[in-house]
Amino acid sequence: MKKKVLSVLLAATMVLSLAACGEKAPSTSTSTPDSTEASVSTEAPASTDVAAPEAPAEVEGMKDGKFVETRHISVEVYDRDGATPANDNVWTDWIKAQMLEKYNVEVEFVAVPRWTEVDQINNLLAAGTAPDICYTYDYPTIQTYATMGGVQDLAPVISQYKDMLPNLFGWLGEENIYMDLDPVEGTLWCVEGRRNNIYRINTFVRADWLEKLGIAEPTTRAEFEAMLVAFRDNAETLLGADADKMVPFSVSYDIGWRAANLIESFMDPAISDKDYYVNGYDDRKFTEPGTKEAVRVLNGWYNDGLIWKDFALYASGDTSEDDMIKAGYVGAFMHNYDYPFRNGADSINAVLGATYGEGAKFVAVDCFEDKNGNYTKYSYSPAGDRKAFFPTTNDEPLASMLYLDFISTQSTVEYLQKGEEGINHKVLDGGAIAIQAVDEANVAYTQNSGNNIDLTMTTNGLRLATDELTNASLAYTYANVDPADVVKAMTVAFRDHKVPISVSVGEISAETGVSNLTDKRDATFDNAVIAAPADFDSVWDAGMAEYLSAGGQDIMDERLAKWIAVYGDALMLP
Amino acid sequence: MSKVKVPKKKTNWGAYLRRYWQLYFLLLLPIVYFLVFKYKPMEFIMIAFKEYKIGKSVWEMPWAANNGMKYFIKAFKNKDFIRSIRNTVTLNLFDLVVGFPAPIIFALILNELVLKRFKKVVQTIAYMPHFLSWVIIYSLALQIFAPTNGLINVLITNLGGEAIPFLNESKHWVATYIGLGVWQNFGWGSIVYLAAIAGINPELYEAASVDGAGRFKKMWHITLPGIKSTIVVLLIMNLGGIMGGGFDRPFAMRNTLVLDVAEVLPTFVYINGIKGLQFSLTTAVGLFQSVVGVFFLLSANWISRKLGERGIW
Repeated sequence: MKKKVLSVLLAATMVLSLAACGEKAPSTSTSTPDSTEASVSTEAPASTDVAAPEAPAEVEGMKDGKFVETRHISVEVYDRDGATPANDNVWTDWIKAQMLEKYNVEVEFVAVPRWTEVDQINNLLAAGTAPDICYTYDYPTIQTYATMGGVQDLAPVISQYKDMLPNLFGWLGEENIYMDLDPVEGTLWCVEGRRNNIYRINTFVRADWLEKLGIAEPTTRAEFEAMLVAFRDNAETLLGADADKMVPFSVSYDIGWRAANLIESFMDPAISDKDYYVNGYDDRKFTEPGTKEAVRVLNGWYNDGLIWKDFALYASGDTSEDDMIKAGYVGAFMHNYDYPFRNGADSINAVLGATYGEGAKFVAVDCFEDKNGNYTKYSYSPAGDRKAFFPTTNDEPLASMLYLDFISTQSTVEYLQKGEEGINHKVLDGGAIAIQAVDEANVAYTQNSGNNIDLTMTTNGLRLATDELTNASLAYTYANVDPADVVKAMTVAFRDHKVPISVSVGEISAETGVSNLTDKRDATFDNAVIAAPADFDSVWDAGMAEYLSAGGQDIMDERLAKWIAVYGDALMLP
Repeated sequence: MSKVKVPKKKTNWGAYLRRYWQLYFLLLLPIVYFLVFKYKPMEFIMIAFKEYKIGKSVWEMPWAANNGMKYFIKAFKNKDFIRSIRNTVTLNLFDLVVGFPAPIIFALILNELVLKRFKKVVQTIAYMPHFLSWVIIYSLALQIFAPTNGLINVLITNLGGEAIPFLNESKHWVATYIGLGVWQNFGWGSIVYLAAIAGINPELYEAASVDGAGRFKKMWHITLPGIKSTIVVLLIMNLGGIMGGGFDRPFAMRNTLVLDVAEVLPTFVYINGIKGLQFSLTTAVGLFQSVVGVFFLLSANWISRKLGERGIW
């Protein structure tokens, strides 16, 4: 008897210790699909699509624009641990049905975890089991793989079947499709998707805290800092018994992203295209001349106890910081322009509102002035976004191209993004649509990514029939969020914004196989932030020197050389 | 009159095969397993000397520059690689110095316990961490050791002390790394010693008692010598792994603040090989690692034989 009790006890401790931390363990497993069969409307929305002209007679195996024999392709889709399996849900079923009907092509979706996508795709590519259509935000990865002979050259495929891809060309245009065409070799490793809304990063502060302390929304860096100090000093008032949990400003290990508004305000507002390009290996502005001083500001904040001390310990995708923000301990942070609105009933603002009442929410503020007093910040570029590429193991290039054409079609995109009327959205007066959270009964209709953008591979961001409709609807794309907050976030994100330039000067070979640069960049950022003020310079300089010697300098040199080769001594793009 | 066959000095394979064919038949499967999964893949070692091409067989890939040594040269010019070697050896040595005696001491202590039931309970609890993955252990460590939210530091700061940077400062991180490693493995590692202790002839203890030896004397003169050969074998095997080591422990525990001590060869290979797709470079690194590992293994074995122990072969 005693033995039994003991073993039960031990088992329980074991289970508890496992369960207690189970949430923290980064999940890399793809969820097993539970049956989410649901009737799917095959009703096509109002058609503004371009019908493909009759397939040229020489295309073998096709008749009336359809394959005679069923073809099979597999397509990557990001897995964000959503309510339904990423690769088997109402929306993927709809796409499968459409592709089968339209082209007699059988589509299989392969789920790839969003936060480890590059690693995962690398593994799949190396194993030769990558999906026929892959996509990633990271061009150097594609380039590296192409040099190993793992990626198909799309140039001949596209030129051969161009006539059959009217929607792909209609949406992306030659500009996006041929953006990565090598000017010398004539090779094309991927097709660049297009971003339909280009808002990028905002600074958010707790509106109810400002109100409680009687502080106006900060409009300068000094005011922002004063506000953080006020949060710190009034922790008792704001958090009561949890005062010791106060985090005035929260960042993650990825400082380059999570302090972007600050960092970009230290850039030269009159930066030349050439300098921008030379320093543009990634979008964290690490090697820009002003960045060091921006990080010095963060270092000051850190040493004043204004920044979360544990920020560097949590890996990408860990939800600890989000949980802390949702618990209401955080006063301000920077992140994607719509970060507090994402995820319906589980969004930061929705959770805060539910816990602390209506007024508890984050609002976007603009407070990092550049040397001219403007709020310079970088948006995304509409040209070039996610890049779709075909591994060499893809033996259905035409079927895959037709899939890209289908997924670029206006009616397809619109249906996937809006979802079902009455379930995913309602139509407002004037035709704008408002996204709503799916209710219990319709969980199967959950869009695992906002507006299903993970499925609309070539389109990132809401894309309705007209731009007016899109803009009018954008504010309503977040369930459980006050549209006025979204409008404000969009306004702030666009004030004095600059669009990153797209430069195409061919392959930068120094950029292939340098995966440790990101680590070195983040390590430098993080170590500089936590350094003692007296050590700041030496820590930053040592980190920078290491980054440059590990390949950073080679990249900048090669970029410079290629720029000069193509544009001569011009400082700006033509 | 049938003559009993005496096996000749010269081995007659055919006869053996015919006589014990069932046994050899049983052996077939393991042999095939080793050939397919252990020996056949060795041809990919050539990647270290070749330019990796994804679609081609390893025989068709072109040779790398500098007589195929290009990637070895590249590796040894790489500061990260040198640092990874340093970290690997340092962390493994610490592991060996602290982690190797721990299970022995634990086994000795357990062996002295009189209360059987208590002993079993302690043993079981000590085994448990072995079954936790490093991802989980690190999550636990974060809850306990994180600078502001960790249990211990919350206690320390509430008592008016200064938080200890267990995970976010290089030296402390090494200590935490080693400590957690010992914590995970000492219980499990003690099993083999307990088994060895159980094999010691009890008459020796009785005789020692008669001679008036106390507990400590018996431990020192009977138990320890009794498990000496086990200790040596395990030590040799541990020394063989001095350049290797697991991937999940350093990878789960690293963060950007401690990369200078946390980057070890397995993570270096992962970051540069799998993430950076530099297969040739990292195969070269892996090969180097294995060769050094074999060297350590052989020398440890040689030394132990010189010292009169059996070694592992």
